Amino acid sequence: MRRPVSPGTRTTAAGRKRSRPRLRNTQRGGTAMTAQEVRLCGLLLQEHYGEVVEKVGTHLLKNRALTLRAIAHETGTPLDLVKKSLCVLVQHGLCVFVSGRRGVEYHLSCERVLRILRFPRYIYTAKTLYGDAGELIVEEVLQRGHMTMSHAVRTVADRLTQNMEEGSSMDYSEVVSAFSRLVETQFLQRCSAVIEPSSAALLTATVDAPPVSVIVPTLSDNHPDRYKLPQISLRGRGKRRLSSEEIEGDQRAAKRAKLDKDQTEPSGDEGIYWQVNFDRFHQHFRDQAIVSAVASKMDQTSSEIVRTMLRMSEVTTTPSAAYTQPLSANEIFRALPPSYSIGRPVLEQYLSLLVDDPMEFVGKTGDSGGGMYVVNLHKALANLARATLESVVQERFGSRSARIFRLLLRKRHLEQKQVEDFAMIPAKEAKEMLYTLLSANLVQLQEIPKTPDHAPSRTFYLYTVNPLPTARMLLQHCYKTVANLIDRRLHETKENKRLLEKSQRIEAILASLQASGAETAQLTEVEEMITAPERQQLEALRHHVNKLDSSENQVDETIFLLESYISSTLSTR
Amino acid sequence: MAEVKVKQESTDVVDIENRIKELCQQFPHGITDQVIQNDMPHVDAQQRAMAINRLLSVGQLDLLRSNAGLLYRLKDTQTASKMKGSDNQEKLVYQIIEDAGNKGIWSRDIRYKSNLPLTEINKILKNLESKKLIKAVKSVAASKKKVYMLYNVQPDRSVTGGAWYSDQDFESEFVEVLNQQCFKFLQSKAEAARDSKQSPMVQRNSSFATSHEVWKYICELGISKVELSMEDIETILNTLIYDGKVEMTIIVAKEGTVGSVDGHMKLYRGVNPIIQPTGLVKTPCGLCPVFDDCHEGGEISPSNCVYMAEWLDF
Repeated sequence: MRRPVSPGTRTTAAGRKRSRPRLRNTQRGGTAMTAQEVRLCGLLLQEHYGEVVEKVGTHLLKNRALTLRAIAHETGTPLDLVKKSLCVLVQHGLCVFVSGRRGVEYHLSCERVLRILRFPRYIYTAKTLYGDAGELIVEEVLQRGHMTMSHAVRTVADRLTQNMEEGSSMDYSEVVSAFSRLVETQFLQRCSAVIEPSSAALLTATVDAPPVSVIVPTLSDNHPDRYKLPQISLRGRGKRRLSSEEIEGDQRAAKRAKLDKDQTEPSGDEGIYWQVNFDRFHQHFRDQAIVSAVASKMDQTSSEIVRTMLRMSEVTTTPSAAYTQPLSANEIFRALPPSYSIGRPVLEQYLSLLVDDPMEFVGKTGDSGGGMYVVNLHKALANLARATLESVVQERFGSRSARIFRLLLRKRHLEQKQVEDFAMIPAKEAKEMLYTLLSANLVQLQEIPKTPDHAPSRTFYLYTVNPLPTARMLLQHCYKTVANLIDRRLHETKENKRLLEKSQRIEAILASLQASGAETAQLTEVEEMITAPERQQLEALRHHVNKLDSSENQVDETIFLLESYISSTLSTR
Repeated sequence: MAEVKVKQESTDVVDIENRIKELCQQFPHGITDQVIQNDMPHVDAQQRAMAINRLLSVGQLDLLRSNAGLLYRLKDTQTASKMKGSDNQEKLVYQIIEDAGNKGIWSRDIRYKSNLPLTEINKILKNLESKKLIKAVKSVAASKKKVYMLYNVQPDRSVTGGAWYSDQDFESEFVEVLNQQCFKFLQSKAEAARDSKQSPMVQRNSSFATSHEVWKYICELGISKVELSMEDIETILNTLIYDGKVEMTIIVAKEGTVGSVDGHMKLYRGVNPIIQPTGLVKTPCGLCPVFDDCHEGGEISPSNCVYMAEWLDF
C-alpha cells in the first residue's frame, strides 16, 4: 500500500523521497558565503592542509551542514579520506558537528578559516608581549589546533634549546611561566569540554531517521575552568636535537627519543587541551588600533591614558560591548604606568581634552570619583572604518575626490550644485568625479520626486554615502585581493619550480659534502652549477614571494578593521 | 472776456509748472500730488494733471511710485540730456533696466515688463549699448544668459560668482593657493603650540586660530588681487575640513570681540590623520581600474597581471 505523500515531497530519479526542497544557505539561518570568501577559504585550506581537505572543505562551505556519507558521495572521495580530512578540520577548530536529523552533520565555519590569514599577526603579538617563549607557544598551538600543556611546554623548550648556544638549554619552568601568563590574560583557553552524553542525545533521534548507533558528544563553551591551569608536574630541560652526523645516527637518535617519551611520567593533564582564544587577540588588536589612532590624532600622553583605560577594562568588558565599564579618574590615576608621572590636575586636563575631541574616543558618564570616563568602542571603530574608506578613495581617485567623499559623509545628502559649491571644485570636474565614484559604487544617488510622475526635470537628485554597505563592499574587495595575491604567489612559485628544485638539490649536495669534509674546490665546483642569471632569478623570486606575503598581512589589517566595524554594527541592532 | 480766460490759463499752466519744479527742487526726494495741492489750492485737479503731464513728456519730471502714492521728482539734467533723441520706448526700457539695480535684468523680463515685441526690444537694447548707457553681463550660473544693467553699475556677487570667479571662469588655482596657505598657517600654529610644552589645555587652545586671524593673515600675505571677506575665508577653511586636515569648533564670544559673528566665533585647528593609508591600497589590486574584470583563468588574472609584475619588480 502506498503511503500518503505529504505536500512538497519530491521523488528523485532513484525513487527516494526528499521531504523538502534543499534550502539555501541563508534560509537555514547562517551567514551566506560570498564567492570571494569561498575562493579565499579554498586557497587557504589548500595551502595549509592539502588538496583533499580543500575539496572537502569547499564543498562543506558551499552547502551548509552535511553528513559524512553526503560529503563522500558528493565529492567523490573515498570515505576514509573524508574521515581524515574531517579529523583535521575538527582538530583545528574549523569544523563543528551537531547531531541532526539525518545523523551527525558537519558544518564548516568560513570565519574560522579566514583566521588562518591572521596567524602571523597572532604570533607576532605574542612575541611582543611575552617574548620568544610566548611566540613559540602560540605558534605551536596554532599549528596543531589543540594541544596539552605538557606537550606544548616540552616542544617549545626543545625548540628554544635548539637556538641557544652549545651547552645551555631552556628550563621547562620558564616556558611554564610564559604559558601560565598567556592563560591568565586569557590568550589561551581550554577547548570546549565534553558534556556527559545524556539520554537527550538519544531522544533527538526521530522516528524516521535510522537509529543513532553512536553517541554524539555535545560540547559546551561555557566552561567554569576555562582559564584554569592544570596542576602538572613538569620538570626538566629542553633536549637539544643531535645534529645528524650520520643518517643512521639520526635514526638511532629518533628511536631513543621515542623511548624517552615513553619513559617520562605522565604529567597529569591528559585530556585537557588548549587552544588559542582568538577573540582575546582581536580585542587586543582593536585596542592597539584605538591607541595608535589617539596617538596620531593627539599626543603620546593621551594615548597612554587611553591604553591604561583599555587595559583596566580588558577582563571586565565583553568583546562586543559598545563602551568599556566606567572608570573613575582616581582609578585611572592610580593605574597609570610609573614612567608617565603626570600630576592629577594634568590628568584631568587630558581627560577633558579627550572628551571634547570631535572624534569622541572617550566619553564622560558621571562626576563621582573625580569623573567617570568610558572609552566609546563602537564609535572608535566607526571612526577607524570611516578613515579606512576615505583612505581608499583618496589613494584610488585622488585627493579632490576624497574631498567630495568626506563632504558627503559629513553632510549626508547633497545636490550636485551644492557639492560643487562646498568643495570649491569647478563644475565640470566635480561632475566627472561624482560620476566616477558613482560607477565604483562608493556613492549612491537618491531620487526625491517633486511630482508623482517622477519627471527628471522635477526631481531632486541627491548624492549620499552609506558607510555600512560601502564597508561590506570593500571587505569583499579585500578578500578578492588576498586571493589574488595568493594566486600570484603560487603562480610565481610554479613558474620557477624547476629552478627551485635544482637549487634545493644543489644545497643538499653542498650540505652533505660539507658534512663529510670536502675541500673548498669541490664546494665551489658544486656552487657553480647554479649560473649567475639563475641565481639572480632565484633572488628575484624570493623577493617577489616575500613582498606578496607581507602585502597579504597588510590587507589583513584592513580586513580586521572592516570586520570589527561591521560586527559592531550588527551587535547593536 | 475769452481772451482773458485763455491768457490766464496759459500763464497759469506755466506758473503751475514752474511752481511744481520749484517744489521739486525744495524736496529732492520727490513730492506727492498732495504737496502740490496744498501749495496751490486754487488750481483744480485737471490743470494740475495737465501741468504734470507736460513736464513728464518734456522729460523734466520723473514719475515714481512709493507706498504713499505717486511721487514726482525733478529729473537730473545730465541724464535728461542723455536721453535726448531717444524716444519713449527707449526711455521705458532704460527705466526698467535702471530699476533692476545691480542684479541686472534678462531680455525676456524686459519684454514682459514693457509689453514691447521682441524685435523692438533687441533694436532698443543695441541702440542703448552703442550709446554706452547699458551693458551686458554674462551670468555665471547659466553661461548663455545675458543680463543687462546700467553702464556704471557694479554687478552683484550672485551674477559674477564673487571672489572665486574672474570672467566667468572658476579660479581653481587661486582657490588651491589659498587652501595651501591657510593650511600652512594653521599647521605652523599647531606645531608652535605643541613645541611650547605647556599644559595640555593651554597647548590645545593656543593651537586654535579664529577665522578672523586667518583672514587677517591672508590679507597681509597679499596673494589675492580681489578683496576677500571673512565668509570667503570660511568657505576655504571648510574645504580644508573636508580634506580632513583641519577641524573646527564654535565657541561663544562676547559681542564686540573682534571677529565674532552673532555672538560666536569659529576656531580652526590643524590635525593629523588618525590612520596611515590602509593596507588595501598598498597592493596593486586596491588601485586597479579593472579589478572587477579580473578572475583566475580569464584575460585579466592575477597570474598575468601587468600591474602586479611592475609592482613586484619595484
